[in-house]
Amino acid sequence: MRMWVFVIRRSILIVPVIVGVMTITFALVSALPVDQQLIAHFGQPSPHDPWIYNPVLQPGQGTCPPAPNTKTCPNLFLKTALAKLGLNQPLPVQWGVYIYNSLTFQWGTVNNHSTVSETYPDLKGLPVTTVLAWYLPYTLELAALSLVIILLISIPLGNLSAVNRNRPVDQAARVLSFSGFAMPSFLLASFLLMGFVILIGSASAHPYFTYSPWCPSGEITFTEFFGSWPSPQCFGTTGVLPSWIAAGVHTAPTGFPTIDALIHGQPWLSLDTLIRMALPALAIAFGSIAVLLRFVRNSMLEVMNLDFVRTARAEGIPSKTVVTRHAGRNSLNVTITVLGLTFAFFIGGFPVIEYVFHLNGIGLILAYSIQPSPGSVDFGLIFGTTLLFTFIIVIANIIVDILYAYLDPRVRLG
Amino acid sequence: MSSGTVSVPVTEKAGRRPNPRIAQWKRTWFFLRGNTLALIGLGIIIAIVAAAIYATTTPISWDAMTEYCGTNQQTGEGNTCPPGYAIVCTYPAGSSPPGPNCYQTPAGNPSDVAPTWSSHPLSAGPLPLGGLTLNPDEQYFFSTYEGLLRGSDWSLIISVSVVGVGALVGLLVGAVSGFMGGAIDETIMRLVDIFLSIPQILFVIIFVSVMDTVHPSIAGLSTDSSIMLVLIIGFIVIWWPFYARVVRGQVLVVREQKYVEAAQASGAGRSRIILRHIVPNSIYPVFIQMSLDVGTVPLLLGVLVYLGFKLFPSPYFPEWGSITALSVVNLQGFLATCQVGACIIPWWQILFPGLALFLYAISVNFLSDGLRDALDPRLRR
Repeated sequence: MRMWVFVIRRSILIVPVIVGVMTITFALVSALPVDQQLIAHFGQPSPHDPWIYNPVLQPGQGTCPPAPNTKTCPNLFLKTALAKLGLNQPLPVQWGVYIYNSLTFQWGTVNNHSTVSETYPDLKGLPVTTVLAWYLPYTLELAALSLVIILLISIPLGNLSAVNRNRPVDQAARVLSFSGFAMPSFLLASFLLMGFVILIGSASAHPYFTYSPWCPSGEITFTEFFGSWPSPQCFGTTGVLPSWIAAGVHTAPTGFPTIDALIHGQPWLSLDTLIRMALPALAIAFGSIAVLLRFVRNSMLEVMNLDFVRTARAEGIPSKTVVTRHAGRNSLNVTITVLGLTFAFFIGGFPVIEYVFHLNGIGLILAYSIQPSPGSVDFGLIFGTTLLFTFIIVIANIIVDILYAYLDPRVRLG
Repeated sequence: MSSGTVSVPVTEKAGRRPNPRIAQWKRTWFFLRGNTLALIGLGIIIAIVAAAIYATTTPISWDAMTEYCGTNQQTGEGNTCPPGYAIVCTYPAGSSPPGPNCYQTPAGNPSDVAPTWSSHPLSAGPLPLGGLTLNPDEQYFFSTYEGLLRGSDWSLIISVSVVGVGALVGLLVGAVSGFMGGAIDETIMRLVDIFLSIPQILFVIIFVSVMDTVHPSIAGLSTDSSIMLVLIIGFIVIWWPFYARVVRGQVLVVREQKYVEAAQASGAGRSRIILRHIVPNSIYPVFIQMSLDVGTVPLLLGVLVYLGFKLFPSPYFPEWGSITALSVVNLQGFLATCQVGACIIPWWQILFPGLALFLYAISVNFLSDGLRDALDPRLRR
């Protein structure tokens, strides 16, 4: 089978998975009361027309003429709204409408009274897709950085501990792996953050958090702790929202902070962003490193005992070359498979880490949207985030499979 | 096994062959005995189970009660004690003690009592692990030691029930899928794929928040109990596919073995083959996966609490993950208001619950590693 045939075939296979995930979320959505579903999709009723989801209108509300001529009238708006979600239809039709809406990115509206709206007033009433699109690039950049950290640490360390089996290096790697399993992510992240803060002194006073020499127009570079977006002053706009959202595509063409800084001709600022991202990326990577390290070590041990490695050694090839070229390349398959399998776990770590470090990514939005106080829970955002995370995971799994097929010809030929 | 030569104990006695499964257990125990880390893990697990049994069977004696109503004796504020509750005398750091045997609260909350060995006339006794702040707004006082002891049973119940039921479902589904093959296998595996592409924590979050909105209490249970039940169900729903995949992989190997063929030839039914021949022989990887997962469940619960869910099996004695998460939240709020260096950071509130979680997870991991080494002859060497 040619490579592109494999890619197409594998891509078609994701359709049932995506539809299946949407069916699961549909089951959960339709368990909600109807008014909650309407709020999640169309937003909270505004103070001007609080009756908008009432089944029956009182005289004087909306299109209903005032008393005493009339008593009550049916709510026509509600009828249209229900029809738009298919809620007046049987369940299979509702399912179809839900799938259609999900596939066309109509994921509802941010609740006006939710915790997210209380925390970020600019997001009130916006479409969920828009909000998520704004916050996605930061999460993607963080994910890319932590993936690099995962691979850079776990593969060499796993190989090293397999070569030095039961020696101190191996034991140290084992302890690292165990602590990754046993340490709650929020605890590790908080310790890293607090340790850094204590190390530096008072969080708000130290110049590291407020000042960057590479930001030309102002001293205040970062509004939150490190890792966050550069403050508006840096790009010359104001507002709660990051500058490129407030000022449109002209100031931030891509949304990735590092790339945007580069486009603005400020390479040092982009380096600064990367450095500030390192600590949260490490915190996210830690759990996956623990899993991956163990699998790399075990698969390396298995490969090292195979005949072709012994042959390579017998040919007099230097030990280092045998480990990196012969054994290492062959154990890479397992590494990639495990990386694909644990990707869901990896993505699931983002809400916590972004919440701890207060990074403006999707995870932070999710963390706020599930909190019942000071506002209410925001179901539109919760389900939208779940769908988005699932899409990311499914796409990552395809990439992993393609990489796997590229590395191991038996997969695409067999 | 460092000597290089391994002598397997001769379990056969003359004239009587032991049950092969018992012989297998004996062999496993023999190899496990040589693994120090695994034995340490086993010891810690036994200690935790003993603590949980003690916590469930022994009611809190109100004479030696360690849940106290905190009050600031200087101002008299915060005395919201129900009748029968003791009053703990506390005073903030920096000021002089209002009376003898009062606890200093370096962190500012009445309940933030640092580890101390000094005793108190109101029978609070020494607090070697310090006091705990579960909710800064409330004035209740907890001993960290008592909180950990009383929280151990829920930690165990939640993690063991999630992993146990999840593994049971996964085992059966995986065995059926692997043994039947064909369309059934394909369908089940696609279903597993679907579940595996949702992040666990996200699924539990949406499951719990939807269920909390729809049914605040199920089947007449209290709100706290029913949300725990919902939580456990949510974890099981997202957890079984992992086991199903592991088991299926193993069953695909096992079903080609000669003894399965022999069972088929002797006319055994499908259910009998699955339950008596396939499942017992593909169960070991599940055990290892289970022991890895048992320690993860309290961590995920802590994550949920950290993100702002109010999940307490018992309002006064939550389980370890919740205690850790609440302590971290408390510490962060504390750091925001306190000048670093000017006041003492309540490190004990995080260290000891975190250590409990860590020991629990790591001991199960040690044991599972030891079990894998003992069960897999290739790794013994």
